[in-house]
Amino acid sequence: MADIGTPPKVRVLVVDDSSLVRLYYMSALEKAGFVVEQAINGIEAMEKVLSEPFDLVIVDVNMPRMDGFTFLRSLRCSAADVAMLPALMISTESGMQDVAEARAAGANFYLVKPVADTELVRHVCILTGVAL
Amino acid sequence: MDLKGRASHGLHISPEDVQRFCEFLYRRTGMSFTEAKRYFIDRRLEDRMTATGSSSFQAYFSLLRADADHEIEHLINSFTVNETYFYREDHQLRCMTSSLLDVITSQKKPGGTVRIWSVPCSTGEEPYSIALWLMENWPQVDSYNIEIIGSDIDTRALKAAAEGIYGDRALMRLSPDLIDRYFRLVAHGGHQIDEGLRNSIEFTRANLIDSNDMAPYRDFDLIFCRNVLIYFDDASRRQAAENLYGCLRPGGYICLGHSESMSRISPLFRVARFPDAIVYQRPEADDG
Repeated sequence: MADIGTPPKVRVLVVDDSSLVRLYYMSALEKAGFVVEQAINGIEAMEKVLSEPFDLVIVDVNMPRMDGFTFLRSLRCSAADVAMLPALMISTESGMQDVAEARAAGANFYLVKPVADTELVRHVCILTGVAL
Repeated sequence: MDLKGRASHGLHISPEDVQRFCEFLYRRTGMSFTEAKRYFIDRRLEDRMTATGSSSFQAYFSLLRADADHEIEHLINSFTVNETYFYREDHQLRCMTSSLLDVITSQKKPGGTVRIWSVPCSTGEEPYSIALWLMENWPQVDSYNIEIIGSDIDTRALKAAAEGIYGDRALMRLSPDLIDRYFRLVAHGGHQIDEGLRNSIEFTRANLIDSNDMAPYRDFDLIFCRNVLIYFDDASRRQAAENLYGCLRPGGYICLGHSESMSRISPLFRVARFPDAIVYQRPEADDG
């Protein structure tokens, strides 16, 4: 697993309705040195990204109240500094159409669950420009 | 401690009174105590009589039957045994991630819900262990919506479970790395489990032998019901087994404690042998 040392603190927002999934991702990322915040759906995620700076958002597709696609579309329509936020979409849906819809909504990368902790950290490092 | 001395200094309860009391407790909880457990009974009765200011067993028993100030609940709390620790009987946890969940999820779509019930959950060590074990050992943990519910008859234990603060003894089977990642030090040398983990488990009160109490608990894929049936007599065990059967979805599994055997209790379940453990299964079809 990558050891990125102390500074700079790279901040990641994990958005998933399953508390155990959030915890699983958070645990892997915190162990690798990232600072992780969490949100339970798209609405909470929008509040977070509008009020705090992040370097990456990891977002699930199927969530109650506001799903991942809707969240990404809202994100990309926000003020420039927020709209530029890189997004990694992670979903159980593996169809070509799902990937295409994620790209259209504004995802920078798409992973299909299950995602091993080492894979997650590797992709987060790449998307945030942190040395592996 | 001297059993006779204690009885003569403290309580003056006749064997008939003990029997009445035990019958009352049995009807309410299914827990079966006899005169042979006199020391255990006396200690708890003495505590409750002091707490309620009862001057005699008769006074206390009247108060108990009237359920004054929820005394039945207080009494049950004092009679339950809440001694456990994280990763207890971990061969069953290994069985869960190496065998059971493969079978369970083979019938579900990715993203589907897997329901796991820890009953009785005591002070939370078991449901938290299940969650920790899943995150550390099940590669598909992010592919399903995992619901873990912890239930117990003891409301005091449930409160402690929700707080999630443990001493060193409860954590003795966990690696320093796990403790470091999922617990934080709190006052008096306690370790409080991660807030995310505390929020990921729902704690509820349930009485295993009460069919009405058990009715809302349905469609579980996996139940951990360990080391409680040993406290029940045959009739209560059968009742608990029937209730648990109704709580499982067809094809669901139940793990019992190492000294417990469902085959001796009820014919409803099928023995399922896996490399790491023997568990019991509600058959897919109720073919009698």
